[in-house]
Amino acid sequence: MEFSYEVKDSYAEVKAEGRLNMVSAPKLREFVTGVIANGSNRIVVNLENTAFMDSSGLGALIGCLKAARQAGGDLRIAAVQPQVKMVLQLTSMDKVLTAYGSAEEAFSND
Amino acid sequence: MTEVLASRSFRGLAAGDAIESVHNDLDSLWLDVPFVQDMDQMTFTTAVIESASNIVQHAEPAGQEPVELGVDIEVRPTLLQARVSAYHAKPPFGPMEPARPGEEAESGRGLALIQALVTTVTFERQDGTNTWVLSRTSQQD
Repeated sequence: MEFSYEVKDSYAEVKAEGRLNMVSAPKLREFVTGVIANGSNRIVVNLENTAFMDSSGLGALIGCLKAARQAGGDLRIAAVQPQVKMVLQLTSMDKVLTAYGSAEEAFSND
Repeated sequence: MTEVLASRSFRGLAAGDAIESVHNDLDSLWLDVPFVQDMDQMTFTTAVIESASNIVQHAEPAGQEPVELGVDIEVRPTLLQARVSAYHAKPPFGPMEPARPGEEAESGRGLALIQALVTTVTFERQDGTNTWVLSRTSQQD
């Protein structure tokens, strides 16, 4: 899985491309922790090119959400694909990790 | 038993790269059986990867030999079945019942997810091998 990020006006967009599984989950956690340490506490994880997520990947997203909130901000997810949406719904975590249609929409009403 | 239309087998050390290999096997398997609906492919792939990851993360060696992961998948006309095995492993510790993690928990959702994804899950232990058998009745067009 490949990660990249870009600081926008009111948030930092993290792009995750590939499979978010037990191998890449700790790397996502480390990457987002670094983004927060660089001064961004409003994070959007763009999952447009994340075709797969398992419970390890979900756990990493929850860990990143907690880290963003501890830094006084928030973490939101965007452009969720069908398999990721299914895992969020089956674990009832779609209520905790709200999915937005695009990265731009995630913090647009704040 | 009805005819096996396609199959894949993997065996290797229970480590992270094994998960990627099994996932690649599943992706190539679905190309052989395009009539299996997207929903069945998606749910079954997720269940197999969850089970295999559970072994890589939690299975402990019973003796000197390292734990090996085995995944054998068969596609039949209306049934998807996977045998996901931990070789040279101790019996699983504790009850194999899904946990009820809180909203903020970062782990503990795997077993409940597997049960939600497949029709049946059974566990067997034989000759030092733990095997989870995952079955999903697939839809036909």
